[in-house]
Amino acid sequence: MAEEKQPYGLIAQFETPADTLHAAEEVRDAGYSQWDVCSPFPIHGLDKAMGLKNSGVGWFAFIGGVVGFTLGMLMIWYMNAYDYGIIVGGKPMFSPFGAFPPSYELTILLSSFGALFGMLFLNRLPRLHHPLLKNRRFAQATHDKFFVVIECEDPKYSETETRRLLESVGSTHVELVEE
Amino acid sequence: MNASTQSESDNAMDLSKWAKVPGVLIAVGGIGALMGALIPSLREQFAFSWLVAFMFYLSIGLGALFLVMAHHLFDASWSVPIRRYMEHLANLLPWMIVLFIPLAIFAPTIYGWMNLDPHAHHALAAKQPLLSIPGFYVVSILCLGIWWLLASRLRYWSLRQDETGDAECTYKMRLYSYWGIFAYAATVTLGSIMWVKSLNYHWFSTIYGVYYFAGSVWVAAGVVYIIGMILKQQGPLRDVVQPHVFYYIGSILFAFTVFYAYIHFSQYFIIWNANLPEETFWYQMRESGSWMEIGYIIIFGHFFLPFLALLRIDLKMTFWWMFCLGVWGCLMHFCDIAFNVMPLLHPDGFVLHWLDLACLAFMGGLLAKIYLKYLYSSAWYPQKDPRLAESLGIYVPSAAERTGSEA
Repeated sequence: MAEEKQPYGLIAQFETPADTLHAAEEVRDAGYSQWDVCSPFPIHGLDKAMGLKNSGVGWFAFIGGVVGFTLGMLMIWYMNAYDYGIIVGGKPMFSPFGAFPPSYELTILLSSFGALFGMLFLNRLPRLHHPLLKNRRFAQATHDKFFVVIECEDPKYSETETRRLLESVGSTHVELVEE
Repeated sequence: MNASTQSESDNAMDLSKWAKVPGVLIAVGGIGALMGALIPSLREQFAFSWLVAFMFYLSIGLGALFLVMAHHLFDASWSVPIRRYMEHLANLLPWMIVLFIPLAIFAPTIYGWMNLDPHAHHALAAKQPLLSIPGFYVVSILCLGIWWLLASRLRYWSLRQDETGDAECTYKMRLYSYWGIFAYAATVTLGSIMWVKSLNYHWFSTIYGVYYFAGSVWVAAGVVYIIGMILKQQGPLRDVVQPHVFYYIGSILFAFTVFYAYIHFSQYFIIWNANLPEETFWYQMRESGSWMEIGYIIIFGHFFLPFLALLRIDLKMTFWWMFCLGVWGCLMHFCDIAFNVMPLLHPDGFVLHWLDLACLAFMGGLLAKIYLKYLYSSAWYPQKDPRLAESLGIYVPSAAERTGSEA
């Protein structure tokens, strides 16, 4: 294909978690918004160093739970008390106690669905391809190297300034990645 | 750490004006309780009020003992800095033996079955020899004795670790926790059956011990949070207790909020579903008059409100919010104990008698005074625990890493 290659962003390689953490703080303070850090293992304190807020997944789980509970109660009321009322054990047609265990199960089911699918939605997953995966060097992010990636879409991005920033915070290699 | 916790922890408040509170509580509550014990017309009310207050404070000690043993059983590192003040909290249990004396004396006033002949009452005959006068005292001594042994031994080895730093201390604490957790399960069940459940001697519920345990750890987690918060803010634990520790205590509180509700609901649901008169009468007693409202307060205040209040991660680490929740937890636990005990004395509804407050004040003041004495008597946190550095987030390289050898 004769498509023109678009730049995706700058990746900067780091050798240690401490360097990466420090670099993330500098990038955060420089005011970038479209960027990420890739590491072979979780680094404690990185969320704070990157200025990340608490994830929104909790809301999906919460809303899923509320929907599950309501749905469970409504379902049992509709089936046992409204659509085809049956007296069981001399109990009322509908009682929140009897309906509670299934509703509780549905609360858990739908809140875990909310958490799973909310996570996928917020991560924009699944996706078939990512520009970074073409980069040979980036494969080291699953082994022993650490990467800070700043995307070209970032409003503060500038080929020269961003490169200078990444080099000044101790990157051993800065490279432009194309789409 | 969020901004508000940071700024709060930087300025210690002047708490010296509160120093006299325990003494005042002991004096005022003591006079009230003594009057209750001596004046014949107040005696029955006094005995029940004392039982409620006793079970309330017992919960805090038992909950703290559980948290200390769980710490050793899981070989946890995060809870090392808060272990010492939890050990002191658990060591209020030996003092519960002293506070048990009025119950031992007034037991025949409280427990109706003590005055009945088992030959004439089938439900009582079926529960021999547990529900007999010797059974009552043997079980009471056994429970209180085992808690005394566990709490004091666990603290003894912990304090010894401060001096020697020997690995033996860690192993001893693990050994006590290992058999202790089984003994704990058995004695908490026995104690709650003997002192509270046997008020309605006809009744049976196999989940009752777990129910009291769940409420105990729940209220204790709130108290542990508040004490930790104060010690961090006032200085002794400022640099030792990391912010994530409060998140973990908050998570325990959250877990036990759900666990308590699960257990209490299970008890209610099984009884409701089976609909057998020999079981339902217990809840029927607690649905008459304003006990019904107390029941609703427990559903919404003991479960729903804390559940929603603890859902957010940032709120679990917000001090003023958790302080309010911890105090609310104590109030709810009091309602829960009263709900279990008081319908026997006040079948028509909840009554807040001044003797309830007097007994709570006396015991609270006494235990607070003892607790403060304990706190100041030792280091604020385990000094030589092998996991202390880890819990502080400090990386200590091993000898091999330092020399670069593979040995």
